[in-house]
Amino acid sequence: MKIDRLEKLVGKKLNIDELEYDLQWIGLDLEDINKEEQILKVEYNPNRPDYSSPEGIARALKGYYEIELGVPSFDLQRSEIVVTVDPSVKKVRPYIVCGIVRNIDLDEEEVATLMTIQEHLHWAVGRDRKKVAIGVHDLDKVKAPYRYTAVKPDSVSFIPLHGDGYAMNLEEILLLHDKGIEYAKILEGKDVYPIIFDSNNEVLSFPPIINGILTTVTDETKNLFLDLTGTDLNAVNLALNILSTTLSDMGAKIETVEVKYEGGKNLITPNLNQNKWEIEIDYVNSYIGLHLTAAEMIKCFQKVRLDAKESKKPGYLDVYIPAFRGDIMHSVDLIEEVAIGYGYFNLPKSIREGGIGKYHPIQTFSNKIRTIMIGAGYLEVLNFILTSSEKHYDFMRQEYEESDVIQIANPVSKEYNTTRTTILPNLLETIRFNRSEEKPIRIFEVGDAVLLSKEEETGAKREVHLSAASYHEDANFTEIRSTLDFVMMALGKFNEYEIKADNNPSYITGRYGEIYIKDVKIGEIGEIHPEVLLNFKLEFPVAALELNLQKIM
Amino acid sequence: MTIKLKKQVIEILTVLKKKKTEQLATPFAKELSIDYIVLMAAINDLIDIELGGFREEEINQISLNEEGRNYLKNGLPENQLLALMRESNVKEINMKDLLIKSKLNKQLFYIGLSNMRKNCWIAQSKTTGENKIFLVAEEFPETDAEKFINTFKANPTRDYSKLSKNEQVQFDLLNRRKLFTKEKKTERYIFLTNKGKSIKTSTIKELEQVSKITPEMLSSGSWKKYNLKPFDVTKPGPLLKAGKTHPLVNLINKIREVFISMGFTEIRGPIVESAFFNFDALFQPQDHPARELQDTFYLNNPKTARLPDKDRVLAVKATHENGGDSGSLGWRYKWDENIAKQTVLRTHTTSTTMRRLAQFYNDNEKTPIKVFCIDRVFRNESLDKTHLAEFTQIEGIVIDENVNLCDLIGLLSEFYRKVGFKKIVTRPGFFPYTEPSMEVAVYYEKLGEWLEMGGSGIFRPEVTSPWGIKDPTRVLAWGQGLERIAMPYYGRKDIRDLYINPIKWLRQQPY
Repeated sequence: MKIDRLEKLVGKKLNIDELEYDLQWIGLDLEDINKEEQILKVEYNPNRPDYSSPEGIARALKGYYEIELGVPSFDLQRSEIVVTVDPSVKKVRPYIVCGIVRNIDLDEEEVATLMTIQEHLHWAVGRDRKKVAIGVHDLDKVKAPYRYTAVKPDSVSFIPLHGDGYAMNLEEILLLHDKGIEYAKILEGKDVYPIIFDSNNEVLSFPPIINGILTTVTDETKNLFLDLTGTDLNAVNLALNILSTTLSDMGAKIETVEVKYEGGKNLITPNLNQNKWEIEIDYVNSYIGLHLTAAEMIKCFQKVRLDAKESKKPGYLDVYIPAFRGDIMHSVDLIEEVAIGYGYFNLPKSIREGGIGKYHPIQTFSNKIRTIMIGAGYLEVLNFILTSSEKHYDFMRQEYEESDVIQIANPVSKEYNTTRTTILPNLLETIRFNRSEEKPIRIFEVGDAVLLSKEEETGAKREVHLSAASYHEDANFTEIRSTLDFVMMALGKFNEYEIKADNNPSYITGRYGEIYIKDVKIGEIGEIHPEVLLNFKLEFPVAALELNLQKIM
Repeated sequence: MTIKLKKQVIEILTVLKKKKTEQLATPFAKELSIDYIVLMAAINDLIDIELGGFREEEINQISLNEEGRNYLKNGLPENQLLALMRESNVKEINMKDLLIKSKLNKQLFYIGLSNMRKNCWIAQSKTTGENKIFLVAEEFPETDAEKFINTFKANPTRDYSKLSKNEQVQFDLLNRRKLFTKEKKTERYIFLTNKGKSIKTSTIKELEQVSKITPEMLSSGSWKKYNLKPFDVTKPGPLLKAGKTHPLVNLINKIREVFISMGFTEIRGPIVESAFFNFDALFQPQDHPARELQDTFYLNNPKTARLPDKDRVLAVKATHENGGDSGSLGWRYKWDENIAKQTVLRTHTTSTTMRRLAQFYNDNEKTPIKVFCIDRVFRNESLDKTHLAEFTQIEGIVIDENVNLCDLIGLLSEFYRKVGFKKIVTRPGFFPYTEPSMEVAVYYEKLGEWLEMGGSGIFRPEVTSPWGIKDPTRVLAWGQGLERIAMPYYGRKDIRDLYINPIKWLRQQPY
């Protein structure tokens, strides 16, 4: 966004340092600022798609600087152009709304803005084109009336934009065209695909995938035809309103189109009528913590480009919301508008003291364990709960059934396809990562393990474990047994626990035991099996233990 | 001047001197029948006295994957199609017929077709309806793509960086068709420095053990005869391999203390969570981008979660569909209970907060309630400098009557002041389940800059009303990633550093 362009739109000399400060108060985050070239980059605000253009931002700034207050007005004329909607689209993409834009004279920056705004609307309002897709066409290349219909995938071919210049059928576009591949999932499982024809059966667009090359917008283009198709009528209307009001601010003339649906349900779009909302003045004040009068509150609304006047109902305001605002669904949304109009920087802070806090017992116990382990000479490490079944089971020589483990349905990588049930494999991994460090390496971790559990509402439970591992030339069972004895002594449980000799594929036979308090198994201890050491590319023996702290607390 | 070295180091030095050139470490260790670790330890000794060194070289190994190998054997799809047309000696063919004849799946067929076009072998009728293909070229010399694939006949793996420019172009093009596997490997080369090469063997002596006081020396009084070698007391001692807590745990404990001192009680909730508590209860519409697969870890096992009482579920459903009794328009779509039953790894601790609101409702508790949570959350993201798939979130909430935005600003100032940031700024922001919302930034004096911390706001009525929390009772909330504080605090630029446990760094980190 260039400053001089914004200056022209706002109608005020702007200083980049001031702007840097001011923009945050209308809900915009700066991403980048280039003072030499006088360029600002703002982060996209998903709640305010109308901020996707300098035109939209200028509207808000005019209110902020009090250059122009209240709902902005736009000139809207009727055109004779008609779009007929064939009922066949109901199954695939039921809604279309359209608009006409005349006498455009876009410079390079405005063309770029048009692209950005489409991208943002596609993403934020359109849910990546699923809910709304936008087509912008050169009106003069095609002949009205237009027809929105659905056809069999291989029955229509046309030359798509950004293709190789060859005609492709719709199926081929989905398989080979970059945009087709990207958005094919939206049409997955449909037996007909949506298409927009002109009166000569020329293809304007194959929504939500790609336009035809015929209506490509160039610097020669004078008049535009906008099509917005989708699955939600509110959303397509909102996107059209944002797009057409922005074009209107660029100096173009906006005209309506009559969209004829089955059964005479016709729409005249775009529809730029304001919405009205009633709100109680006291409620707004108590929510923010202010004491504004009706007049002061009206001013706040006007500064954020809404309008308000005192309602017939005493103590209430009627608030008017412009058609390009789609984010107002509750009175609290208007309360935030008042706070922004008032200025967050003007809000006083109030301090409420009081109450007695409590630690969570498991966290307190974990910290106690940490103190003991440090005394035993162990260094604390932290690992992810996410892990891979390869490391967690295969490397550890543990057999498992898919049905017995937490399974992530959509892992980004094989590295993370499950969650850990024990911490020990993470410690072996940590040793591998540090194996060139000086020995001995003695590490521990206190953290969560996640286990399947039918009794739990979500089918899994978390347990806090302690695991400790010692890695050096002479690491052996005796050493780790001493460590366990030290921990149990420190917890005052030295006389309560016993170790029962057992076998476990991760450990050396004859050097493994299960730890019990009374008849409850609370952990495992032993020397790691040589194959496991090799799987983790370790060169020395490891002696290790793992305790379920929740069974000891 | 003589240099004292361990016996083994002298041996390695001698062999390296004979070899004259740098050596690949792994085979060299094999040749000397010593462990790689031992070899590298010896090299480190040589590095310390500037006689030797090592360098690392990364190689990008590329090889054909199954599909690629199939093409190496049978030809690329375009060649397969071309062969079909030339075998049967036809100059034109119906697209559908060629597809059936080729036995290729549709995608490969279209890929073949488009490459035939790019190679100028064929032309295609552009009209609607039947698509015909015409063979227009006379000669069909081997294409660059074929040439490149065929090089894998002789060597099944190649080093990407050693490819010619043209080959790299071909690789990049073919790689888009996913025909290769790529693997990165690091190789170490060891070498002697000029000083090492020129050093005379006669100046190197084997290192002798340092003597020390023994009990015998003490009891016999013989210690008087010895002159104990002095130590260089100015040098640091060897590393003490003692225990210590992890820096992040220290920071977490510090923040827990801040919360406790402000009267907040610590809560804990499930890691495997229902979409209901993770999303739906937070008024996130079921088609919200944040719920999509690329952001959330969904689970196959356990596949579904049980939902709370039917009437609470219906209350949440109503807020989505028409606002319910929250005074909202709602999202105006049909809410699906099955989507809410999906299990996820929680994407934020706010799911635990929601369970706290549910408890508030069930136990019919009195306000004020002040709770906090510092715990792990999960996002289905590729790891990079600023993103983790698992990180720690901090969250605090207050449920109380007539609390407002100014109270929240007060709370935030107090909280961040106690954490160590004297100046904070709150400004408009957007979060899906709070309104009004505020972003929080703090001034970090050590860096002299403002740092983004996180989000805050008042829970939307759509979020609270299903749990019986209605105006004037409101819920103030704020939260942020712990790592945002930890990174500048511990001077890390890469967020991954906080969880990879470099032991050296952990030992050096101040408390």
